Amino acid sequence: MDAPIPFRQQLLATIPRLRRYARSLVFDPSAADDLVQTTLERALAHWHQFDQRRDILVWALSIAHNAFMDERRRERRSVAAASHDLHAAEEPQAPAADIGLRLDLVAALGQLSVEQREPLLLVTLEQLSYAECAEVLRIPIGTVMSRISRARATLRDLLDGRPPHASRGLRRVV
Amino acid sequence: MTAPPDTEILHAWLDDELPADRRAEVEAWLRDHPEEAARVRLWAADSQALRSQLEPVLSEPVPQRLTQLVWSHAPATLSSGWQRWAAAALVFVLGGGAGAALTWRLKSANTSAATAAASTAGWIQRAAVAHAVYVPEVRHPVEVKAQEEHLSRWLTRRLNVPVKLFDLRAQGFELVGGRLLPDATGPSAQLMYQAIAEPVAPGAPSAPADAKPVRVTVYLRKPDDDTPAAFRYEQQGRLGMFYWVEGRSEGGGPCGYALVGELPRERLLAMAESIFRQGEAAQR
Repeated sequence: MDAPIPFRQQLLATIPRLRRYARSLVFDPSAADDLVQTTLERALAHWHQFDQRRDILVWALSIAHNAFMDERRRERRSVAAASHDLHAAEEPQAPAADIGLRLDLVAALGQLSVEQREPLLLVTLEQLSYAECAEVLRIPIGTVMSRISRARATLRDLLDGRPPHASRGLRRVV
Repeated sequence: MTAPPDTEILHAWLDDELPADRRAEVEAWLRDHPEEAARVRLWAADSQALRSQLEPVLSEPVPQRLTQLVWSHAPATLSSGWQRWAAAALVFVLGGGAGAALTWRLKSANTSAATAAASTAGWIQRAAVAHAVYVPEVRHPVEVKAQEEHLSRWLTRRLNVPVKLFDLRAQGFELVGGRLLPDATGPSAQLMYQAIAEPVAPGAPSAPADAKPVRVTVYLRKPDDDTPAAFRYEQQGRLGMFYWVEGRSEGGGPCGYALVGELPRERLLAMAESIFRQGEAAQR
């Protein structure tokens, strides 16, 4: 059975928020919309898994997160297969110059590891609670707290022109 | 508070994640430690900057491919909705007159068609339900009969949009009457028409004497927003529906119309065109 109309309407209503979140993750507008498209396709294919008592935005964001992680894994694999520097694929994509954001802020955001960036965006940009953020990312609330704490500190360091406290190795833990 | 709060607690305070007592403690501590408070303010400013930088994405028009994707994954009866819609457009091109006007609207509204569908689908559903509930009714199909003069005035007053009693006799249907109904955000109205015993329109089904009369309903409501929506067709099982939103009208704001009936699309279309034309005429 296909997704019922009320579900579609709910899903449609999430698109602007999904687009903003995707934009803050992958920066390039059309790549971001591709991510939203994948998210919507998955949501429509799995609509029956959605519990109507839950917030559809939180559910859709968790799908977007999974799609984004899948995308990254695929990129990493293909880069590895092409025997390029594995390290390069792990770096966030360079923000496009034409996205109209304050470059230093966005550049700094792009410097954050995905593990720090996502909780920060979900809480500050999407205004999710720590519990909802934990649900989207499938991590404990304590981990959400520590990642947000470090994400804000790193962002501030970068904006102040200081090298981030954490070393490269530390950026990827937890 | 003597011991400084953990950094994570400061962030949790900023994100409004602390219970009231804990929040008060942190606030007291921050008052006593202006340097730390300044640090927290910087984080808050960064968060605010992040929000305001990305805020514009929310008001960007949603790409059609995304809205279309959500609608095109349609249930079986709706699966070819877009093709049907295109077919309806073609009929209008051939129809000329009001048809041409509608086609033009359809074109101009093309980019927002899917968005409009999103906001209209709810009331379309209610129009279909109202149709299914009252059409089989033998004794009380309507609340106020067509003969009663105040029907139009009463519905107009209650809906706050002009309710015109459309004349569909040329299409072989006469007005039975109307009723007031609850919609999601306010009142709506249903006008019911019944096939005239001896069909006027060529090709109309000639029903046996004991058969239920063929009825169509026109559902009217004040739309949620002022955006005129494209003229659209939707089929749910045997039920066909034409619906649209008239952008302006003489006595008030826009009005949403849904024509519902178990009739071939061409016949419904002829009625929809007639209703549209009569609505247009009333505006002049």
